[in-house]
Amino acid sequence: MGSLLPLIAAQAIWWWRDPASPRPVQWWLVAATVVLGTAYLAVMPQWRYRVHRWEVTPEAVYTQTGWFNQERRIAPIVRIQTVDLTRGPVAQVLRLASVRVTTASSAGPLAIHGLDHDLAVSLVEQLTELTVSDLGDAT
Amino acid sequence: MSDPEFRRLDARMLLVHPVQEAVRLFPALLAVFVTGRTSGRSPWWDVAAFIAVVALGVSRWFTTRYRITGGQIELRTGLLNRKLLATPADRVRTVDVTAPIWHRLLGLARVEIGTASGTPSERIVLDALAAPIAHALRAELLHGKEIRASDAGLVGPEPTSVGTGSESLLLQLDPRWLRYAPLTTSGLLTALALWGFAVQFIGAVTGPIEAAFDQFRAWGVWITVIVLVSAATVWVALLAVTAYVLAYWDFRLTRHPGGTLHTSRGLLTTRSTSIEEGRIRGVELAQPLLLRLARAAHLSAITTGLRHAEPGGGAGVAPLVPPAPQQVSIDVGVAVLGDPEPLRVALVGHGPAARRRRYVRALLPAVALAAIAGFLEWRFDLPLAATAVGFLLLLTAPFLAADRYAGLGHTLLEGYLVTQEGSVYRRRVALQRDGIVGVVVRESYFQRRAGVATVVAATAAGRQGYAVLDAPAPDADRLVAELIPQASDFRDG
Repeated sequence: MGSLLPLIAAQAIWWWRDPASPRPVQWWLVAATVVLGTAYLAVMPQWRYRVHRWEVTPEAVYTQTGWFNQERRIAPIVRIQTVDLTRGPVAQVLRLASVRVTTASSAGPLAIHGLDHDLAVSLVEQLTELTVSDLGDAT
Repeated sequence: MSDPEFRRLDARMLLVHPVQEAVRLFPALLAVFVTGRTSGRSPWWDVAAFIAVVALGVSRWFTTRYRITGGQIELRTGLLNRKLLATPADRVRTVDVTAPIWHRLLGLARVEIGTASGTPSERIVLDALAAPIAHALRAELLHGKEIRASDAGLVGPEPTSVGTGSESLLLQLDPRWLRYAPLTTSGLLTALALWGFAVQFIGAVTGPIEAAFDQFRAWGVWITVIVLVSAATVWVALLAVTAYVLAYWDFRLTRHPGGTLHTSRGLLTTRSTSIEEGRIRGVELAQPLLLRLARAAHLSAITTGLRHAEPGGGAGVAPLVPPAPQQVSIDVGVAVLGDPEPLRVALVGHGPAARRRRYVRALLPAVALAAIAGFLEWRFDLPLAATAVGFLLLLTAPFLAADRYAGLGHTLLEGYLVTQEGSVYRRRVALQRDGIVGVVVRESYFQRRAGVATVVAATAAGRQGYAVLDAPAPDADRLVAELIPQASDFRDG
C-alpha cells in the first residue's frame, strides 16, 4: 500500500491543480491505477508471505525474502557482529517487531520482518547468547 | 610503560591549514566579497572574514593532538566540539601516507590510518606530520617498532628507500606501460569533466566558435566528422597519459618481511600505502575491453580499511599493478596470493541458460532502441544517419552477449572462490574463503524460470560483496553449501 500512495497523491494533485481537468488521459491513469493497484494488493502480500521464511540454528541464521525477485541470505553465527530489534509505529500497534542481524560486510545483513514481538525479543536473546562466545569476524 | 605526551601536528601546517580552510570555505568567502561590493559595505568586513578563515585554520593546529600509548592510538580534535578518537593499534589494517604538492614543498606528509571497521568517522587522519616522522609512524603502527616521542625529531631515513631493510621489490613501473594509458577510461572521464567545466564559459567565447562553424561548413560533413573525432581522440589520449603519469609515476610495490605490502606512487601528489598482508582477502584482475584487446590488465588488492576513489578501484581496493601487460599483473597476483592457481585456473562455465540470458539482456535494449529509431524515422523522417546510430547497437549486441558469456564463470578452490564476469569491464576476483562472512542468493522471477541464481559472497573487504552471476541452480546450491558449511541444515529451503 505504501508504494501506491505517492502515485495516488501525484494524480490527486494533478486533478486539483490543472484547470483543464478532467482530461481523458487522467481518466485512463485512474483506471490503470485502480486495476493494477488492486491486482498488486491482491497478489503481492500473499506471494510475499508465502516466500518469507527464516530459521536460526546453533550454527547459522537463514532468511528468505521477496516475491518477484527473491533473496536467500545465510550468515554463520560465528560471523555475526550485531543483532538489532526495531519496531516502527505500525509494527507497535500490531505488536510486531523486526530483527536485523549484521556481519562485518555491508553486503550481507539479514532482516526478519513482521515477527511477533515476544518471539522477536527471545530470538534476539538467543542470538546474543550464541554470538557472545565467538570472536573472529574476518575483518 | 608510561603514557607519552600528546603530540601536535607539524608546526609547518600553520602555513597549510589556513589555505586549506580558505579552499574549503571558498563559496562563503566569495559570497562575502560579492555582497560587500554590491552593497557598498565597509571593506573591513572582507578583512574580518579573511582573518576568521585564517584563525580557523590556525586553530586546527592548536586543537589537534595525538599520541600512541601501549596499545592504542588516540586523536583529539575539535575547537567547539571536542572529540577524542581512540583505536586499538591491533585494529590497524592499512596506513596511507599522502603528500600533495604543497605538503611536499614543505616536507610534510599526511597519515591516514584505516582500521578494521572502515567507517569514515573512525578513520584517523593526521594532517600533517614531517615526512620522516610520518614514515616512522607507519613502520611503528604496522611492524610494532617502537619510536619514542623524544626520538621523533631525529628519525632516520624513511623505511621505503632502497637498500635499507630487507624489503623485496615485487614491481616497478616500466615507462613503456604508458602506451596502455590511452586504453583506460581515465582520459575520457577527465575529458568529460573538463568539458562540463568549459561549457559554463562557452557563452564568453562565441567568436572563435562561430569561426569554427564557418570552417566546418567549408569542409563538409565527412571531413568535419573525421577532424573532430581524431582531435577528440588525441585530446583524450593525452589526458589519459597525463592521468596515468600523475597517478602512477614511480610506482613501486614492495613486500616487507614484517608482513606488509607497500606501494608508493605519484608524480605531484605522492602516495604510499601499506597493507597488512594477513588482511588481504584476495585480488581483483581487471581487464576493460580495450586493455584486454591489448593483452593488458590491472590488479588490485581486496582489503579492509581503505577508502580510495581511484581509477579502477572502489572503496577498499588498493592498486597493486597499474595498467600493464597481463602477464605482469598475473605474476604479481600470484606472488601476492602465494598461490598460482586462482588467477590461472580454467573456470567452470554457467551453461546454456546463462548464455541465453546474456543474449536476451544484450538484445532487448538494442531492439527497443532500434524500434524507437525506426518509429521516429517513419513518423518524422529523421536523417538516415541518426537512424543508423539507433541500429548500431543492434549490430554490436550479439558480439557483446557472446563475449559476456565467454567471460562468465567461477570455480571453488581449496582456499579461494574465483569468479569472473563482464565484457566491457571484465574482471576476475579471487576471494579468500576465510574472508567470506555470509552468502546472499538472488533470484529474480526470470532467473527462477531459467533455472539460474546469482550467489553473492559477502565479505568485509573491498566491494563488500562479490557475485557469481547466473550460476545454474544446482551449482549455486552446491556453492552455498561449500562456502557456508554450517548451512547444511537449510537444504530444504
